[in-house]
Amino acid sequence: MRQIKIAEAANAANLRLTWAEDRFEDFAELLQRGFMLKARARSSIRDVLCGQFGISHEYLDQRINTIFLDGKPVDDVDSATIGGGSKLALSAAMPGFVGAALRKGGFYAPMRQVITHVEGTESVPGGDELFVLKLFNLVVKELGPLFLDSGIWLDRRDLESFFNSRPAEFWSGCLQCLMEVDELEVDSLHKGKWLIESPLVYLRIHVVTGDKQ
Amino acid sequence: MDNILRIIMGPEGGPKATVIPVGEYAGIGGRALTSAIVSKEVPPLCHPLGADNKLVFAPGLLSGTAAAMSGRLSVGCKSPLTGGIKEANSGGQASQTLARLGYAAIVLEGAPKDDNIYKIFINKDGVEINLDNSLKMLGNYAVVEKMKAEYGDKIACISIGPAGEMKMCAASVACTDMELRPTRHAGRGGVGAVMGAKGVKVIVLDDSGMKMRSPKDPDKFREANKNWVDGLKKHPVTGEGLPAYGTNVLTNILNEAGAYPTKNFSLGQFAGSSKISGETEAATETTRGGSATHGCHRGCVIQCSGIYMDKNGQYLTKQPEYETVWAHGGNCGIDDLDAIAMLDRLDDDYGLDTIEMGATIGVAMEAGVAKFGDAQAAISLVHEVGKGTPLGRILGNGAAVTGKAFGVERVPVVKNQALPAYDPRGVQGIGVTYATSTMGADHTAGYAVTANILKVGGYVNPLTPEGQVELSRNLQIATAAVDATGMCLFIAFAVLDQPETFQALLDMLNAFYGLNLTGDDVTALGKSILKNERNFNTKAGFTPAHDRLPEFFKKELLPPHNVTFKVRDEDLDTVFNW
Repeated sequence: MRQIKIAEAANAANLRLTWAEDRFEDFAELLQRGFMLKARARSSIRDVLCGQFGISHEYLDQRINTIFLDGKPVDDVDSATIGGGSKLALSAAMPGFVGAALRKGGFYAPMRQVITHVEGTESVPGGDELFVLKLFNLVVKELGPLFLDSGIWLDRRDLESFFNSRPAEFWSGCLQCLMEVDELEVDSLHKGKWLIESPLVYLRIHVVTGDKQ
Repeated sequence: MDNILRIIMGPEGGPKATVIPVGEYAGIGGRALTSAIVSKEVPPLCHPLGADNKLVFAPGLLSGTAAAMSGRLSVGCKSPLTGGIKEANSGGQASQTLARLGYAAIVLEGAPKDDNIYKIFINKDGVEINLDNSLKMLGNYAVVEKMKAEYGDKIACISIGPAGEMKMCAASVACTDMELRPTRHAGRGGVGAVMGAKGVKVIVLDDSGMKMRSPKDPDKFREANKNWVDGLKKHPVTGEGLPAYGTNVLTNILNEAGAYPTKNFSLGQFAGSSKISGETEAATETTRGGSATHGCHRGCVIQCSGIYMDKNGQYLTKQPEYETVWAHGGNCGIDDLDAIAMLDRLDDDYGLDTIEMGATIGVAMEAGVAKFGDAQAAISLVHEVGKGTPLGRILGNGAAVTGKAFGVERVPVVKNQALPAYDPRGVQGIGVTYATSTMGADHTAGYAVTANILKVGGYVNPLTPEGQVELSRNLQIATAAVDATGMCLFIAFAVLDQPETFQALLDMLNAFYGLNLTGDDVTALGKSILKNERNFNTKAGFTPAHDRLPEFFKKELLPPHNVTFKVRDEDLDTVFNW
């Protein structure tokens, strides 16, 4: 995923989908691959997730058991900071010895010491930047709807590629599709006919349960 | 489980079965029993495929009881792959069934003087051994179908496919699951080749008329089992993560960590990981009418397996687990989940270890036999193995043989056994276990209960290389002990974090056998198992030089972190100093 400047985010195309809850997991692959969010640069992981996105401290401390920042396991969410283009990955507890070793601050953390994240000295917060967030396993289900509802930025080609590779039954979950203010036929997404020129898409997905459809 | 069934395959007039009291082997089960018998009765310098080797099948101490998760079957022998002692274990129904039939072990001894193959039927009335050459070169699925037609569907089967009959070093022993499919395998070390060398195609177990094994103190046992199940269900890994996604949930994480061995261990990250991850696999299974939450044996409460359907909604295989998806996936540059599932099905049917086969194909791809990422070529290579073509014979004997045959330097093996799905340059601690395990490179050898619960080995400072060695030692000791109970190793996650759950396991053992085991006793058991195994390997010719990772792990930087394996040889040599 290429690094996107914050200025590009303002020019992103706006795509809004209403999606059936029972097909929400169809987006799991997208959330695993990663998407972009806006955050105040050089803020700690805790500040970004809890302060800016409203995730509870308890959830961060108890549920999000394994964290990677730029591919390195993180032990301290208060000292590790997110910058423009950072890649942050969040996971619940993982099985296996290696799962235990990668765990945040776990007993076996020293066994992967050579790849552990070490925070640099400069951590003065700056302006807003885009960073990449990936969600894995139980966290996909639990935080995915929150981020999709509030909106995520995606490279247009990545989103097109994702939509184009979906099986036919995927589209049965799409209840409504709005591009900017215009309603689109689902087929136009399915068949790649949405002709957006902006390199970025700001995607919001509102998930609804069956009885609200 | 008061008896051992010994079957001698070579005498005049055909195989002979003898049931003898368990005797000197009383009080041990699973890996403790297989390694005790092999180390005492098998000449360490014997040929693994010869008459002097023995193949031992042993349920765990709690198999056949109401204890949850107690369905692992240990299979032990001298390994044709490593040349050392071997214990491979499997889920499925066989362990519970064998234990309820009252056998602490089946030992196959000797070797037939011809190339006939036999089936063995065991029920409450005794043992029948029949010559059945109609089974020759059948896949495991076809063998089980024939046994079902002959003996009904209340059976469990232990069988080999063509790879075992051809005595290939990657050959596995298959055990049937709850649906009577041969999907669970004692995969590692070529145990299937030893079964093939004994001329045994299938062992059919029927426990009709037998009861569940009874504990000495039923009330305490029931209470301990309840606490045990509660502990497993409340833990986020055993109660939520594994049931939802299975072990393949590790793909994204290892990939993110840059420790996901990719394209024959040349890279630490795979671009196609999200297409083959546990999350994607579970969604695919659910969408197609399969299942992402399924047990491999009755009494499993973790349910980390699943049912994988093809694009047409027809059963293809069980849920391929993490090691399989990695071996045939990222390690070969393949990001097609359906192709990986097909490779899993073929491995199960031909009777092959999925880790060894995936690693072997990775080496073959490095050699230019096929291109990385070519899923159809990988499928064709596994068919070559199943057919026993000259190329297939090379591949079926594993990554080390294939590397030699094709002149490949980067061959990821220790003691000739292929490394599993964690690059030791990224997670150095597991490299210590890979290098020093008695079994060859084995991710499960150092898996279980943490030192801070068992308090084995005293104080550990994990910030030093010596500390990593100590941790690996403690893990190997604890894992050996868990392997003796017949418990699935995945219990380790709950036991790791919840001392009361570990206590519940001890309480179950104590209530069942009328014992007063403590954590120290468990530690002593683990040490005694490892001591037996180390002694056997030393007599078989193993030296410290065998406790090493391949040289490339020390020399080649692993992207993206650009790290090498740093633990010193002299530190590796201290792992078994206790």
